[in-house]
Amino acid sequence: MSRPVLEFVDVIHEYPGSPPVRALDHVTLTVSAGEWVAIVGPSGSGKSTLLNLMGALDQPTTGTVRIDGHDLAGLDDEQLSALRGRALGFVFQSFHLLAGMTALENVATALVYRGVPAAERRERAAAAMSRVGLGHRIGHRPAQLSGGESQRVAIARALVGAPSLVLADEPTGNLDSRTGEEIMGLFQELHREGTTLVLITHDQGIAAAAPRRVGIRDGKIVVSTRDGVTV
Amino acid sequence: MTAPLVAPSTDESRSPAPVPRSVLTPRDALALGVQGLRGRRGRALLTSVGIAIGIAAIVAVIGISASSKANVLAVLDRLGTNYLTITPGQTLGSDEQAQLPPESVGRLSLLDHVQSVAATAQLGVTVRRTDVVPATNTKGTVVLAAEPDLLSTLNGRLRGGRWLDATPRDYPTVVLGVTAASRQGVDLSAGGQLVWIGDQWFAVVGILDEMPLAPELDNAALISTAVATQKFGYQGSPTTVYLRTSPADINGVRDVAAATADPVSPQEVDVTRPSDAIEARAATDSAFTTLLLGLGGVALLVGGVGIANVMVISVLERRGEIGVRRALGATRRHIRTQFLVEALVQAALGGLAGVLLGGAITVGYGLSMGWPIDLPVVGLAGGILAALVVGGVAGLYPASRAARLEPAQAVRPS
Ligand SMILES: Nc1ncnc2c1ncn2[C@@H]1O[C@H](COP(=O)(O)OP(=O)(O)OP(=O)(O)O)[C@@H](O)[C@H]1O
Ligand SMILES: [Mg+2]
Repeated sequence: MSRPVLEFVDVIHEYPGSPPVRALDHVTLTVSAGEWVAIVGPSGSGKSTLLNLMGALDQPTTGTVRIDGHDLAGLDDEQLSALRGRALGFVFQSFHLLAGMTALENVATALVYRGVPAAERRERAAAAMSRVGLGHRIGHRPAQLSGGESQRVAIARALVGAPSLVLADEPTGNLDSRTGEEIMGLFQELHREGTTLVLITHDQGIAAAAPRRVGIRDGKIVVSTRDGVTV
Repeated sequence: MTAPLVAPSTDESRSPAPVPRSVLTPRDALALGVQGLRGRRGRALLTSVGIAIGIAAIVAVIGISASSKANVLAVLDRLGTNYLTITPGQTLGSDEQAQLPPESVGRLSLLDHVQSVAATAQLGVTVRRTDVVPATNTKGTVVLAAEPDLLSTLNGRLRGGRWLDATPRDYPTVVLGVTAASRQGVDLSAGGQLVWIGDQWFAVVGILDEMPLAPELDNAALISTAVATQKFGYQGSPTTVYLRTSPADINGVRDVAAATADPVSPQEVDVTRPSDAIEARAATDSAFTTLLLGLGGVALLVGGVGIANVMVISVLERRGEIGVRRALGATRRHIRTQFLVEALVQAALGGLAGVLLGGAITVGYGLSMGWPIDLPVVGLAGGILAALVVGGVAGLYPASRAARLEPAQAVRPS
């Protein structure tokens, strides 16, 4: 099997409180390069918590999380930030585009913290915009884009740095079903081109598009299938 | 640009390629700061106003007082600083006013390095516009007997008319100081004018210009010593002796002037250098200046609080942006830098506007007063610097709040 991009070993995550909320309970999971994984579960099951750990945005309470071979436990803020910027691409449910910038500048921002020179940032951002089918919208501001276009810009921003892993939390949650299908089509293409994808959804129908499905409930993994076969 | 590498993972089974550190070049940091403000142009403008007013007030105060000093120095340069004024002091052992001996003028004029000597003597008579004005209504104008060379000794100028001379006329003549002329309502351009001195009419033949080195002449009516002796029984005991010396030797003359004027009781003679007093007055900042500086400081402080306030709100509003940037690789330090630069850019804009405004006020005021304009570069640079310091301090708290946000919290949909 190919190189693991993401490894969870016996991960517990608790939010502080009395009693503490156990959002992830003994999760063990491996995602390999080139895989497309859909994580499905009802509201409050721990999907976003799982994604935060996958994205090095948070640390596990106990257990081991490795991204691209780097154990999060040994990393400080500088190193975690570097890992996010280099190895990961994020797509959020609410797009999170920066309102004061054009679509192109939004995409190019993903390369700022890598020290890429401004001219090269622009070129690569334009290429990523074309890749998601928005080559004609580069000068538009987020307020001038439809929801589907906004999410495409966000996907271009996640892809422009050629990350090892793209993480998407309910990427179609704010879109109508038709636009949502178009976005899923784009993910399908990216997967075929070799992008490693983890997609979070509470919608079984959307999850059905992914070859690998992981079901989560009350912080525990309850099903894990690849091409219909339990793994 | 070579970025330092982070330490490899502690995992022993694999050795993942080290991840290069995130960077934020100064140029990108500045661009981010400007970008952040462009999105909130109106708000940024209003916030900068406080800083601008504060800096403008401070720069204007510094510029105006520097120009005023430059003016004083220019005036002194024109008039010369080689003057001494000799007046009677206190009699020892009593509060009585001492008197200068009548021969003092003659003796002083014999001193080495003295170029010119002239004296005035206050007369016990009053000047009034007409004979029907009551004797108590003098408007502060004093009547002085003056020697003919007083004007040349003091390098003085006439605003109009001519100086006292011996030409015979219908009336005895008088020259008024500039303040005396305006207080008594005498205007030579309206034709020949008479004033009532003692118990007779005098013709006003001239009006003096301002006398910065002898301000006591501004509100005086000057008649010649000859007329004073003839009409009012003047005895020849001067109340003020003006000395002009060669510039290099003024201190030597100053040391011996008292003993020369009155060898019997030199301690009862006061010797002053009027240019000293003018310089000292120019150098001391008036209470008004201090007040304006204080107000400028308060405006600056309020401006700083305004920036801090707006930035705190901005950090709350931009939680999502902070989250996205953290997800894109920004470290806490980069977020702090971004918000700090935003505060600095805002303050610098206010500071620049303030310096321009303060400079314009200085030039405008200086021109209206006919002063030479002096805008100290230190004051201008200091204005910008003060604005930056205020902006930096104001931005510190909001910037560290932005940096402290946990990335997982920041990316949560609001
Ligand atoms: N910051 C937090 N502090 C305390 N509890 C939290 C926090 N975030 C999430 N939780 C709790 O952890 C559990 C899992 O939350 P999580 O957001 O991961 O669920 P989710 O599967 O993403 O749900 P949804 O589909 O509604 O987004 C929930 O019980 C939630 O209340
Ligand atoms: Mg969620």
